Amino acid sequence: MLLLLTPLHAQQDGERGRFRSSVEYEPISVVGARPIREIGYQQTKFDSLALKEGVSLSMADVLAFNSSIYVKSYGRATLSTVSFRGTSPSHTQVTWNGMRISNPMLGMTDFSMIPAYFIDDASLLHGTSSINETGGGMGGAVKLSTTPATNEGFGLQYVQGIASFKTFDEFLRLTWGNRNWQVSTRAVLSTSPNDYKYRNHDKKVNVYDEEMNIIDQYYPMERNRSGAYRDLHLLQEIYYNTGRGDKIGLNAWYINSKRELAMLTVDHGDDTDFENLQREQTFRSVLSWDHLRQNWKLAAKAGYIYTWLAYDYKRDLGNGTMAHMTRSRSRVNTLYADLSAEYYVGDKWLFTAALTAHQHFVHSEDKNIILQDGNRGIVGYDQARIELSALVSAKWRPTERFGMSVVLREEMFGKEWTPPIPALFIDGVLSKRGNVIAKASLSRNFRFPTLNDLYFLPGGNPDLKKESGWTYDAGVEFTVGNRERFSLHGSATWFDSYIHDWIIWLPTTKGFFSPDNIKDVHAYGIEVEANTEIALTKEWRLMLDGSFSWTPSINEGEPRSAADRSVGKQLPYVPEYSSSISGRLTWRRWTLHYKWCYYSKRYTMSSNDLSLSGTLPTYFMNNISLEKIFSLKKVDISVKGAINNLFNEEYLSVLSRPMPGINFQLFVGIILK
Amino acid sequence: MTRLTNISLCAMLLILTSCMKWEYGEVETFTASGNGLFICNEGNFQYGNATLSYYDPATQQVENEVFYRANAMKLGDVCQSMIIRDGIGWVVVNNSHVVFAIDTETFKEVGRITGLTSPRYIHFLSDDKAYVTQLWDNRIFIVNPKRYEITGYIEIPNMSMEQGSTEQMVAWGDYLFVNSWSYQNRIFKIDTRTDSVVAELEVGIQPTSLVLDCNNKLWTVTDGGYDNSPYGYEAPKLYCIDAESFEIERCFEFRLGDAPSELQLNGSGDTLYWLNDDVWAMSVDAERLPVRPFLNSRGTLYYGLTIDPYNGDVYVADAIDYSQQGKIYRYSQTQELIDEFYVGIIPGAFCWK
Repeated sequence: MLLLLTPLHAQQDGERGRFRSSVEYEPISVVGARPIREIGYQQTKFDSLALKEGVSLSMADVLAFNSSIYVKSYGRATLSTVSFRGTSPSHTQVTWNGMRISNPMLGMTDFSMIPAYFIDDASLLHGTSSINETGGGMGGAVKLSTTPATNEGFGLQYVQGIASFKTFDEFLRLTWGNRNWQVSTRAVLSTSPNDYKYRNHDKKVNVYDEEMNIIDQYYPMERNRSGAYRDLHLLQEIYYNTGRGDKIGLNAWYINSKRELAMLTVDHGDDTDFENLQREQTFRSVLSWDHLRQNWKLAAKAGYIYTWLAYDYKRDLGNGTMAHMTRSRSRVNTLYADLSAEYYVGDKWLFTAALTAHQHFVHSEDKNIILQDGNRGIVGYDQARIELSALVSAKWRPTERFGMSVVLREEMFGKEWTPPIPALFIDGVLSKRGNVIAKASLSRNFRFPTLNDLYFLPGGNPDLKKESGWTYDAGVEFTVGNRERFSLHGSATWFDSYIHDWIIWLPTTKGFFSPDNIKDVHAYGIEVEANTEIALTKEWRLMLDGSFSWTPSINEGEPRSAADRSVGKQLPYVPEYSSSISGRLTWRRWTLHYKWCYYSKRYTMSSNDLSLSGTLPTYFMNNISLEKIFSLKKVDISVKGAINNLFNEEYLSVLSRPMPGINFQLFVGIILK
Repeated sequence: MTRLTNISLCAMLLILTSCMKWEYGEVETFTASGNGLFICNEGNFQYGNATLSYYDPATQQVENEVFYRANAMKLGDVCQSMIIRDGIGWVVVNNSHVVFAIDTETFKEVGRITGLTSPRYIHFLSDDKAYVTQLWDNRIFIVNPKRYEITGYIEIPNMSMEQGSTEQMVAWGDYLFVNSWSYQNRIFKIDTRTDSVVAELEVGIQPTSLVLDCNNKLWTVTDGGYDNSPYGYEAPKLYCIDAESFEIERCFEFRLGDAPSELQLNGSGDTLYWLNDDVWAMSVDAERLPVRPFLNSRGTLYYGLTIDPYNGDVYVADAIDYSQQGKIYRYSQTQELIDEFYVGIIPGAFCWK
């Protein structure tokens, strides 16, 4: 049996002022906290153990195994999008330190490009709760943040990972701090040819005789072709705390990525004949200032995002010359500003206000062509758009057992305003015994078309309407246990949402795709979460996190014609059921971690046909890891081994996108004490 | 607490059970004798769910996914076109970079041509020579269908690789005519003896299809490009071109914003059909475009069109929402609905056996 060894992932331990290893746990928490600012929130918070579980993990991996939202992955280290509650990825808003980072051209975020080691604080704001953070999250929002360490002096952490398919991951973090200053530099470098083997069930190889008659056929054992990647991430943070209520922070994140786009299982081309490459350079930065006083707070942020995206599709002409078939380039510059204020009146009222602005400048070149007059021309667009969002809220907790929050948001994209976006949240303690809390909320929401929706050539549709919807949810949660031995937390939420004028890109008779406001969708269902932490003995500890979602997402639009069989059917590629479980068993300095996730079958057609290619089978995935920390005099050394796809499943997550079979990872980490 | 631990471990063991399978297909036996109609269902680009359907007009029976079912493997990504020669069907699967050769009675594969850039159409010149047009390539590939080999290329003049587009082919004597569609405005004349372009004719923006009528006149229809295209945007046009002189004889102009496509001829070659929201028909001798359609759309999204060469029945494909099984409507020459049936995703091309 392969020895499973694992990394030392360390995280900042604020109280002790140094990194600590992942097996050092805080006392069990059993308090059902209800901060006034989070009245009625339906949110999932990720603990640092989940975020720092592996240096090679992206946020897509973390979300897949620690929540029940749907992660649609096109392959290993390939585009991964997430969607809540039966909506699409573009209905998920993503913020990093308060700044929206969804690509304004595409309206979605690739979570495979966010290393989990760069995120200190992550939470999911389900449905209506996202209104408190940003508009446009018809399904919800993913809130990602970095937080200042509380180091005294110099700190260092280094992790190296070696994995199957010649995959190498490196992580380095250097910190320095004192009472006022905290400085941190993080770097992640991941490289792999990513050429994992798989049995291709979608095609056969022919064996011919001399007369070119087929005498045999077989399913080939292939490698993932043209799937190599090299991702570099650098994150610089500087924080200054006056100690008198003022904090200043600077975060700067640079990404340099080079990824090939893997060939489909049904591609009969030779990978050496083609080059299919995507490159990205992104720089994101946020400068923040927080001014805290006893009963009020003022915060200001300014940010900037630069993204350069290049896509090259080349063909070998047979003489070694690679000729461009497609050469697209895009540049996005985004300026960001945010001003927010909070004011407490006693301990029963909290008033908040925020004004956020994103100004995008987009230059997109999709194709270079020779015009009819012989001159050169570019198919693309140049557009700028200002996006404003304003929020006011009043949160009221008249008694310890009851809270209510009213939120009003208003948004403007370009020259178009939304109607006022109201949201109402209430919560109440049903029983102090067991911390049983009931929550309910409702909100309206709007999502504007992306810049590609409006202006992409060919196909952009400037006449698109914004999507609109209402969402309602209600749920109950409880927390029981005691600090020494045991805690159990659970929640169940029912939600119901309607989205009108859903934007979908469809082919046209002119040979290109174009978006239109096509569908009205009714998404509803139940989300259940539970987690428990048990101190079995003084040295044994068990932690279990589980989630389950039932998310019918039904097309309720008008049929396009009498032949249309999509009305009343589940949206394609949206699983009706999803679930995840993460179990962690520790003994002394050992940790055994088991992760499991599940998606029910996904239809590939809007009519839910059960033809041969009409569904993707139910998806199960099992990963396991074992970690040991060696504590030396000046350093902690961790060794971790992991097995992914434990049962060596041959599977697809998306049609024609093969996934890797069983694969192994070994990590060694060093933390300076 | 020990009991709780046991329960937890048991629960964990239960969920380890896995049943996720990437299924192998099962080979089915078909015997499709007689005349019939193949329908090429493009599928969704990048999803590899193109399929092939087969319809028997006599029995009005349709079989879907016949390639998959006969061969236990997928057809591929974007099935673009198909032709039949001597009992062998040649199915061009654009984004799979392949042309499959199948037995038209059993639907079993008998061979395949690979190494193509982005194949669109195949045209036979002889048993051992055929041309394959390409998108994103400025070359037409010359292949030997007997050996499934690429044997050469025809370079298209004044065409870059990135803007490369050659489409449908029509033979006239020793010459072959090819329309060039994507960001192009030309018809090329190729000498099949020398495999070289010998002439070209400028037409409107983006000629989408090409046919040769009973009078040896070429017909092509342009889509006019699109609004804000740097290549231009104009009213689409229908051209009648004399094959011998390679000159435009007549030109019919549509309205700006129209999107005519799928130009077809009936079996006798004297009536043109095309799609432009509705289905339109016009005699090859007509002096102006018809004012009323042959068939009105009924909320349908017509995407493919063919005419039965034997009896003139009109088959029109409705892609519906492009993400479910499309539907074929079969009409008589008197516009009576004879049959309707579902096929695969985005039915775009037909091939008569």
